[in-house]
Amino acid sequence: MSSSSGLLQRAALAARLVIATIFLIPLVFTLLVSLRPENEPVTNGNIFFGSEVTLENYERASMVAPWSLHYINSIVFVGGTLAVQLATVTCAAYAFARMRFRGRNALLMIILLQLMIPSGVLLVQNFRMINILGLFDTRLALMLPYWGSAFGVLLLRQTFREVPIELEEAARIDGANLAQVIRHVYVSNAIPAYLAFALVSVSSHWNEFLWPFIITRSAEIRPLTVGLNKLIKTTDQGAFYGQLMAGTLIVIAPLVILFLVFQRQFVESFARSGIR
Amino acid sequence: MRTPSPRKSLISYLQPYLLIAPTLLLVLMFNVAPAFRTVNDSLYKPARGLNAAGKPPEFVGLQNFQDLFDDSHYMGMRFLRTFRNTIIFALATVSLGVPLGLLLALLLNHQQPLLGLWRFAVFYPSLLPLIGAASIWSFIFSDSIGLANAVLKSVGHPGLNWLGDRNLVLLSVIIVNIWKQAGYFMIFFLAGLQNISRDIYEAASLDGAGELQQFFAITLPLLRRTLLFVIVVSFIFAFQTVEQLQALGEGGPADSANLLLYLIFQNISERRNWGYVNAMTIVLIGVVLTFTISNFLLFERDESDA
Repeated sequence: MSSSSGLLQRAALAARLVIATIFLIPLVFTLLVSLRPENEPVTNGNIFFGSEVTLENYERASMVAPWSLHYINSIVFVGGTLAVQLATVTCAAYAFARMRFRGRNALLMIILLQLMIPSGVLLVQNFRMINILGLFDTRLALMLPYWGSAFGVLLLRQTFREVPIELEEAARIDGANLAQVIRHVYVSNAIPAYLAFALVSVSSHWNEFLWPFIITRSAEIRPLTVGLNKLIKTTDQGAFYGQLMAGTLIVIAPLVILFLVFQRQFVESFARSGIR
Repeated sequence: MRTPSPRKSLISYLQPYLLIAPTLLLVLMFNVAPAFRTVNDSLYKPARGLNAAGKPPEFVGLQNFQDLFDDSHYMGMRFLRTFRNTIIFALATVSLGVPLGLLLALLLNHQQPLLGLWRFAVFYPSLLPLIGAASIWSFIFSDSIGLANAVLKSVGHPGLNWLGDRNLVLLSVIIVNIWKQAGYFMIFFLAGLQNISRDIYEAASLDGAGELQQFFAITLPLLRRTLLFVIVVSFIFAFQTVEQLQALGEGGPADSANLLLYLIFQNISERRNWGYVNAMTIVLIGVVLTFTISNFLLFERDESDA
């Protein structure tokens, strides 16, 4: 290795160190501040630790919002959205991948419109639609707009097309009906694509805020992000950053842990999700 | 062999339509129909369907749009300032975040010790809820007891009013967005880099090309498609990521850091502004559509027949 390239290697290592440190600082300080006594801000004395390590911020954060309820709500929202998506997406993807019917391309184009006009941008009219349907402040209202997924249809259609058609023919000869063919031939050969779709779906809906915020009112059904918003608004008035950081950690911990477990799958799935 | 009964053949004719019906119906209900209703409602004043009883909506043509682009109008003033911020926000995210994403990919492309840790460090922000990320940064940017000012004060600087000074709020929001998105951009570049054959680099280094030369002569040209894709996607994202404002100054003071979708959100329940929020949504859809369609034209053609 030439000396100039050795220099470049060392510069690259230094750059990695600096960038990783800068990126990690917010997470590290979220943790540190959540464990510091509230009356000893970082501007006071030691920037890293206070006089003691305390859990009182977590106790206080737990009094502002019912976190366990919000956890259940987020799990129901994310799980309910994904479960129905898996069904709708699988059916549509099979039809578009392997069946011939009139209007196939035109109908696919209509579904792909979702990628061009994402639901998030249509906040205003979808808010009105939910009100017209009488679904305001219901769990159904949270999930309904996400039950159809053009991204999922596109991803699985592509995957199903790569399954050898002979497998389906063999299953048919053995007397399998349509549901059995889809389940045993296609779904079981597309598990990585399903995992990719599930990770993208779960992480994006776990993080959803604006839609749940405008479409619900009762704490009984509101997800974690809306609970966190309440904590943020409480903090505004008194700058209780200890309890805010504790609450933030409560909200983000599951995804950070999920990412630590599924790091490689996450990176691969997100790479496939140019447009969610 | 039995001939199929008429009932059975009807079912098999309908089968594909039944399979796609749920997805199709949902897209029509929550994407296509609302887009048409947005166009319709943007042409009425002050509201359609949401009026106080007895007062019919009034068709005003493009008047709502004229008001939005009139900076002496109360909503036009807000819209124009917000629209300008949105463009600055998008341009800054793209021009700073995309090169940073590329740099991260170049640094983390090869097998090396601690690769998992490096990747975790730069990618975890893109998994956080925007509002959670913003909540963390609201502490960092806090005027009196925040981390940024604690550091500034330790080097003798009096500290900055990150979320209160109208010249700084938008910058703060941009910093958060770049921190959050760079790792996400990185993974597309990593995928792109993986597609470049090692042989090309080996040939180049046999010819005596240094690493920087190789980057400009080989890597960058071969990443052109990925680069284009990431730029388009990051523009589309920039126009839709606004939730962080909820914890970072709520678009203020005086809309100095407001973004378009957040302004829409702020006015969604105001009956008298119903025409305006719909007109603003049209502008937003127009921008997003321009980018998505160019995305499709640039890339979808090759991928759909793969």
